[in-house]
Amino acid sequence: MKAKLNRETVVRSKLLWAVIAELLILLVGFIMRPDFLSVQLMTLADGSRVLFGTPIDILNRSAEITIIAMGMTLVIALGGTDLSVGALVAVSGAMALKFLRWDVLEYPTPGDYTVMPYFLVILVPLAVCTLMGAFNGLLISKLGMQPIIATLILMVAGRGIAQITTNGKQFTTMYTPFQQIAQGYFLKLPMPIIITAVVILGVALFTRKTSYGMFVESVGVNPNASRVSGLQSSRIILIAFMITGFLSGISGLIYSSRISSCDSNNAGINNEMNAILAVVIGGTSMSGGKFSLTGTVIGSLIIQTIVTLVYFFGVVSEAIMAFEAMIIAVVIVLQSEPVRKFFASRKRSRASATGGAVRA
Amino acid sequence: MLKAEPRRQSALTRIFNPKYIMVYATLGVFLVIYLFGALMYGDKGFTTLRTLTLMFSDNAYVGVSAVGMTMVLITGGIDLSVAAVASLTGMFVAYGVTVLGLDPWVCVLFSLAVGTALGLVMGAAIHYLNVPPFITTLTGMFMARGVCALISRESISIDNPTIDYLAGLKWYIMRLQDGEWVKLKPVAYINLSVLIFIAMIIIGTIILQKTRFGRNVYAIGGNEQSARLMGLPVARTKVLVYGFNGLCSVLSGIAYALYVKSGWNLALQGSELDVISCCVIGGVMLSGGVGYMQGMLLGVLLKATIPAIITFNGTMNSWWAKIFTGLLLLLFIIIQRVVVASSDRAKKTE
Repeated sequence: MKAKLNRETVVRSKLLWAVIAELLILLVGFIMRPDFLSVQLMTLADGSRVLFGTPIDILNRSAEITIIAMGMTLVIALGGTDLSVGALVAVSGAMALKFLRWDVLEYPTPGDYTVMPYFLVILVPLAVCTLMGAFNGLLISKLGMQPIIATLILMVAGRGIAQITTNGKQFTTMYTPFQQIAQGYFLKLPMPIIITAVVILGVALFTRKTSYGMFVESVGVNPNASRVSGLQSSRIILIAFMITGFLSGISGLIYSSRISSCDSNNAGINNEMNAILAVVIGGTSMSGGKFSLTGTVIGSLIIQTIVTLVYFFGVVSEAIMAFEAMIIAVVIVLQSEPVRKFFASRKRSRASATGGAVRA
Repeated sequence: MLKAEPRRQSALTRIFNPKYIMVYATLGVFLVIYLFGALMYGDKGFTTLRTLTLMFSDNAYVGVSAVGMTMVLITGGIDLSVAAVASLTGMFVAYGVTVLGLDPWVCVLFSLAVGTALGLVMGAAIHYLNVPPFITTLTGMFMARGVCALISRESISIDNPTIDYLAGLKWYIMRLQDGEWVKLKPVAYINLSVLIFIAMIIIGTIILQKTRFGRNVYAIGGNEQSARLMGLPVARTKVLVYGFNGLCSVLSGIAYALYVKSGWNLALQGSELDVISCCVIGGVMLSGGVGYMQGMLLGVLLKATIPAIITFNGTMNSWWAKIFTGLLLLLFIIIQRVVVASSDRAKKTE
């Protein structure tokens, strides 16, 4: 039996490598600390019982990157990149805190209050981020700019906008409904996990149950052919960037709720890099085409698991990047075309030697 | 053997060659903004030579890194690791000199070796393993930043007579007055960083314009497949370009270390995108094959003018600099699109 190395199997084998990598990292964690995988019920101060443990923590902490990476998957499948997501996270947090406190001089102490109605605190940042996503999308689809440069504009300007929104100050809030976004619990799970699950489900339904996902892959493989065959590629690109902007907004709200504050300098720093890595580790090619949302989720979990594991060794937070880089380098080298071809050819030759019993 | 006689062009057609149009666009916008600054703040000393030399010395480290980046961008690649490598260099020098008590030159040579080697490895991964440059250099950036934090999380100040001497080197700009040379007033000078910057610009220009290697760089950026079919050494050129960029990042790190006299693991965070935006403003296209060192130099100057104007204004928030830089990028990308579109149209009608 001759092994066929079509795109489908290529994507699957990349996904396979990612799963193996995640399992190996978890195994290492389990060997180092047997309680690495344990989950227990814990009683909170108010008497409610919630799940607690390292796996829950990994899921909880990976929420921001997973949510952004969902949108990034679509953008990368279109053959683009979005560098502005980290800046949008900062903008979203700054806007939310601005609406909660309005002016620190008028409302000097942080407390359990909001100056503007709560729905505006949530809706305005999301709307602004969606609009900024639309700005990226329009530059790329209407003016034909390269995605890296078009999104570089907002990456540079976004943090400036965030700083000017709060006049360069760090606002803090104690408003309970806002803090609940990241610090609350629902169904015994931390709220960010629930939000992430909803986002994943939403994006999966939107791309797989409507024709949008197929259009994205089609434009990613060949924009010109797609246009000629009647797809409105400019609208498809615009929607993908708007989704990414909107999701960055959600991620920004979660982040600022987690720290009950806004930090325009550090919010979402390197988020764009981590999100792109999550997508690539998950098996979606940077050159566009087929995408895998499952892969992206696994990629994001890999990154967060490495971070958690390295924390256990007592390594300082910034140095984690070195370990991240090493493991990611291994995953990327294993996924790279020459290496996979090498493995495929070895399996194939073995298959022909054993009369085709082994499938590549 | 027939040797083609190079067609002589008049100086005028050579200067107004349409291939330099992006450089002229940058020059034009730079002059407009500089003129604006001169009209608004001329009385406060915006037009003095001192302001101009300060713009150079405050941005020399960005410019040095941009020399290597220009070359990488012309091949159609990108390098996100430059700022991290520069920060790592600063850390190597600071840790080596202050903590280990090594000779500064040993630290500098060690940094040069590490930076160039990292560049070569990344280039090899990009070419032979076919990993996108974006991802490869992103991994390199994580690696460099991580190693930097492993060495020290605290900022280490550099306290060494050699470094102090190098950082203190100043060449004053003199003028002839009554038969003797006196310092210009207000005092204007260039320092070692600026000298490194100017030297690297000259070296970069010679490599790109006068050598076979430079022609290969443009050919790969224009169309890598064609370059390979023509028998050009694509692999060697690409790997060497990333190696050269690594070298430039280390030199940029040294220039920065001389500027701040310390090493810090979070230094220059996000500066890789400053370097890339300088190149883009200077007319280097990210799609590859187009760009000049002269344009990049103007890009660095243009990007330095905005904070200078905001400082001279005095009342404006310094974060406006980021927003104006974003607007400037937008302007230049639109100019590039218009230029490309019109030249495409011209080609079609020919």
